[in-house]
Amino acid sequence: MVQRLKEVDVVVIGVGMVGSIVAKELAAAGYKVVGLERGEARFTVPQFQSPAIHDELRFDIRKALMQDNTREAVTFRNHSSETALPIRRWESFLPGTGLGGSMVHWNGQTYRFQANDFELATRTRERYGRHFLDPDVTIQDWGVTYDDLEPHYDRFEYLLGTSGKAGNIKGQVVPGGDPFESPRSREYPTPPQKEHYSGAMFRKAASGLGYHPFPQPSSNLSQPYTNPEGIKLNACVFCGFCERYACEHFAKSVPQTIILPVLLANPNFELRTGCQVQRINLDSTRKKATGVTYIDAVGREFEQPASLVITSSFALNNVRMLLLSRIGTPYDPTTAKGVVGRNYAYQTMSSVASFFGEDVFINPFMASGASGTLINDFAGDNFDHSGLGFIGGSFIGAVNTNGRPIQYHPVPPGTPSWGKGWKDAVVKHYNHTVMFSLHGSSVSTRQNYLDLDPTYKDAWGQPLLRMTFDFPQNDLEMAAYVTAKAVEIGKAMGAKQVAGSPRKGPYTTTQYQTTHNTGGTVMGSDPGTSVVNRYLQSWDVPNVFVIGASAYPQNASWNPTNTLGALTYWAIDAIKNKYLKNPGRLVSA
Amino acid sequence: MRLRRTDTGLTLALAALITVATHGIAHAKAAAPASAKVCQGCHGVHGEGNAPAAIPRLAGQSAEYLRKQLEDYASGDRANPIMKNFAKPLTHADMEALAAYFSTASAPRTAIPSTASAADLDFGQELARQGSEVKRVQACDSCHGPDGVGVLHAAPYLAGQSAEYLTSALTSFQQRTRKNDPGKLMTSVAGQLDASDIAAAAAYFSSLPSNAP
Repeated sequence: MVQRLKEVDVVVIGVGMVGSIVAKELAAAGYKVVGLERGEARFTVPQFQSPAIHDELRFDIRKALMQDNTREAVTFRNHSSETALPIRRWESFLPGTGLGGSMVHWNGQTYRFQANDFELATRTRERYGRHFLDPDVTIQDWGVTYDDLEPHYDRFEYLLGTSGKAGNIKGQVVPGGDPFESPRSREYPTPPQKEHYSGAMFRKAASGLGYHPFPQPSSNLSQPYTNPEGIKLNACVFCGFCERYACEHFAKSVPQTIILPVLLANPNFELRTGCQVQRINLDSTRKKATGVTYIDAVGREFEQPASLVITSSFALNNVRMLLLSRIGTPYDPTTAKGVVGRNYAYQTMSSVASFFGEDVFINPFMASGASGTLINDFAGDNFDHSGLGFIGGSFIGAVNTNGRPIQYHPVPPGTPSWGKGWKDAVVKHYNHTVMFSLHGSSVSTRQNYLDLDPTYKDAWGQPLLRMTFDFPQNDLEMAAYVTAKAVEIGKAMGAKQVAGSPRKGPYTTTQYQTTHNTGGTVMGSDPGTSVVNRYLQSWDVPNVFVIGASAYPQNASWNPTNTLGALTYWAIDAIKNKYLKNPGRLVSA
Repeated sequence: MRLRRTDTGLTLALAALITVATHGIAHAKAAAPASAKVCQGCHGVHGEGNAPAAIPRLAGQSAEYLRKQLEDYASGDRANPIMKNFAKPLTHADMEALAAYFSTASAPRTAIPSTASAADLDFGQELARQGSEVKRVQACDSCHGPDGVGVLHAAPYLAGQSAEYLTSALTSFQQRTRKNDPGKLMTSVAGQLDASDIAAAAAYFSSLPSNAP
């Protein structure tokens, strides 16, 4: 029997980074807000404390903080001619679950996208001509510009306390920062983290080659910080347990350390954990949402009526929620019509390992998730792509991170993959290797998309999300080009041996790459090619907002979190100041 | 989710491992340099300290930590008029020699009955092992090792240290007369604690057996 609950103003699906921010803003504005979180409540104390949190087997190998894929998996295939199978064990990407969401286990890399990224289709046509790209590439403009988002990037970075060095303040290039960045209105809230020896070597070599190194912007903080919500964070101690772990030191910016204490203290907000939302309910016109239906941890079914529904779960789950609720037309790759599930994109990750002699000590265990030194000379459209045949790029950085004993064993190519030869090589190289991270953009294409699986269901009997994805040729060519540039930097650092690993196809879900899944509910100015308008409001059901990296029409050369934070503040401003004053469509179709 | 103070089996096993890791590689006993006489006047012949007088135990503390404290007393990063007078005239080599000597010194600990209540000791243990979400402080043991045994290159031992000294050390971080903590970490932590929290944590660590030789 479904129990119908008392109506509230707003229901938020997923209380992670986005959900915490929107709920806090709306509760503070006087609205009654219910946050439905499928996972458990958890806090820095006691859940994130060491020594338990430093259990590499539990968190790294067994993925204790991730979505439970025995109950709710994703099915995968490379091509629509294949049969998709469920991902039984997360490897390629790691969607989190529980209060605070995936941000709890992030590395804290906090970049902005560049102005060019938000108008990628237009600017690519202008610079390289109409016929530069493969016709199957479906990149498009976002419907917002960098200038629209700048104040919201600023607000989000100050919420986090991000540690970095500006490269461009209001159009003035600032020495020491990234000269390619689009203008920011002011300096980062806190100075950069300390530079590692590997970063110093990279800086010297990259400068010598004429590139422009800068410190990686990090939300593992360089010094104590009190954010505008009045919450205090500590400085990072470089323990090296960031990605896949939670931080015990109140030093990594996650909902628990930046906003949840304020949200949870507001009586207008009610958090319900262990609640699996089944669908957003619509009225008979199917143009208005009436609330959501969810099942709690003991299996009771509830209907929670609400005037406004905000879905703020992980990108893939946002897409699935719209498909399960039958909001918007599902994308069909055979006709290229429909929008929900369209333009799924990822990130094209490559790496370079530089092996040094035993007199060079790197200490990879001593790290934060974002204490590197980088260049953006080969990211985005910061270099001329004429004649190259591809768009996009990668940042290249020497990033000391995650040098933990079970998972981190850099060895040169040709090393045996097991046995004494392998062990000897691990001992020899562990402390004398510099790893470069090459974090590459991803174009959307006609063939890559998300839909509901026809066969496999979750623990509640609902179809799983099906992913159809392979690397576009554009991105593989980009990876090969940028990796070759990075190998030159490794050689200039004086390494004895440099091994480049450009990303190659086919895409596999059995190897960790990144959790930057984007697209599927993309934003834009044309309802024919987007699911939500520039304010992340559903074109079809105006009292539903879909906030997540699922809104990105394609993915840029940088980690997506900061842009999602900016979009969240952008959307919530529109909800508070426009939508709630006059509910209805914010953009006419 | 309080931890019971008697729940020490695994922690002691871990402590033993870390003790081996941190102290097993200590250098052979260093000879007492002539300048150690001055230290011994207050800190005891074997570096056992003088607990009621808030004079810390030095025996078995890491040489790296002890040397840094001498440097910071001299520079004023750790403000203490008495220690400044002693540290200022020392050369770098003197500091190294003193630190090496006390790091390898043996000093059996004389247990001093604690005047703290059982509730205080319980709360001290909770701060040490688990931290506090309300106070927004992490577990002391996160950096200072299981049951405060210390972690080489990172953090001094607290176990068996004088409660009076630990109180004074935390208070000096809180009042910013001690500014030699990397990343202002102890300044942040101490700033979140009030006097009764500090007393509880200090009493708890002081009640533990010292792992030092």
